[in-house]
Amino acid sequence: MSLKNIRRSRLGFLRALVIAGRSGRVTRRYPYEEPLVTSDFRGKIDIDETKCIGCGACVNACPPNALELINTRDGYVSLRYFVGRCIFCWRCIDVCPTGAIKGTREFELATNDISDLYDIIVHEPNKCRECGKLFSTKRMGDYVVTKSPLVENYVDLDPDCRKSRFLRAIENRFGGGIE
Amino acid sequence: MSKPKFLGKSIWVFHLNTGSCNGCDIEVLDVLTPYHDAERFGVKLVVSPRHADAALLTGPITIESLPKVLRAIEAMPRPRIIIALGSCACGGNIWHSSYSVIGGVPELLKILDERGIEVDGVYYVPGCPVRPESIVYAVGLIKGLVPKKIKPKVKKVGG
Repeated sequence: MSLKNIRRSRLGFLRALVIAGRSGRVTRRYPYEEPLVTSDFRGKIDIDETKCIGCGACVNACPPNALELINTRDGYVSLRYFVGRCIFCWRCIDVCPTGAIKGTREFELATNDISDLYDIIVHEPNKCRECGKLFSTKRMGDYVVTKSPLVENYVDLDPDCRKSRFLRAIENRFGGGIE
Repeated sequence: MSKPKFLGKSIWVFHLNTGSCNGCDIEVLDVLTPYHDAERFGVKLVVSPRHADAALLTGPITIESLPKVLRAIEAMPRPRIIIALGSCACGGNIWHSSYSVIGGVPELLKILDERGIEVDGVYYVPGCPVRPESIVYAVGLIKGLVPKKIKPKVKKVGG
C-alpha cells in the first residue's frame, strides 16, 4: 500500500497522529496548575473594613451599582458589595478617599450559592446630640474632623439640626424672628 | 465540596444567549478550543435542550427572551441545573434596573418558582466578560474537582 492510499484509507488517522506528535501539547492543565494571570489583570476588589468610613464615594462611581449603601431599619448604614454584578473596572479604587479598597487578582468566583457573592460592611451610625436622630456614620464624622478641625463643634449634629441652629444664629444677630 | 451525584458524569450543556453582548459567548467558544479544552471534563454543547443537563445562560434575560428561556428549561429532563455565566446573568450588570430586562438568574428563579418549574441547582460564574479559566474553574467546581474559594463576608465596624 502506497502512502497515497494510506491517506485515503481507514489508517488516515495515523497521519494526524504524526502531525500531533510534531506540534506537541497546547492544552493548559489549568485547574491543576497555576493560572495565567498578568500583573495588570483586574479581579475582585477587597474592601478593608478597618479603613472604610462609609462615605459612599465608591457607590457614586460604580457603573453597575455593585456597591450599594443600604440604610437598615435600626439606623445602621451598610456598604454592600455584590461580586455578581461587578464589572471589575476598579473605579472605586481610584475614588476611595482613605484607600480602603484594594484590587486583587482573584477571578475564581464561581459558586452554587448566591449569598457567597456578597461582602457587607455594617457601619455604626452617628447620633445627633440634640434630637437623637441617627445619620451618616461615626467614622465619617471622625474623618471630616481630621481633614478640617473647624467642623468639630457641629459634626455630631444631623443636617436638620444644623439648619435650625444656623437660622437661630441669624435670628439672634438681627434681633428679629424668622417664621 | 457537596455536589449532586448526577454532576459527576459528563455534563451536556445547552447554551442560550438571553440578550448578552456576545462577550461571554465568545469566551464559551474559547473554552472549547484546544488551548483551554473544557471537553476533557466531558463538557459538550448540545443543540437541543432535551439532551442537556445544564442550561448555560448568558445575558440579563430580556423580557423578549424570557418565554423562550422558560420553554427551554421546561424541556430539559430532570435533574437539570442552570449555569449563570457573566455579570449580566448573575446580577443584571449595568442593566439590572432597566425596563426591558428581568435582571439575571436570581429574578428568573422567582419566576420559575411561580410557574412550578423545578431546578436542581444553580451555579453563578461572575466576570465581565468571564475569563475562560474562570469557566474552566466553574466546570471543575460543578464536577467537584476543585474547592470553592469565595466566601461571604459580613463585618460590623464601630466608630
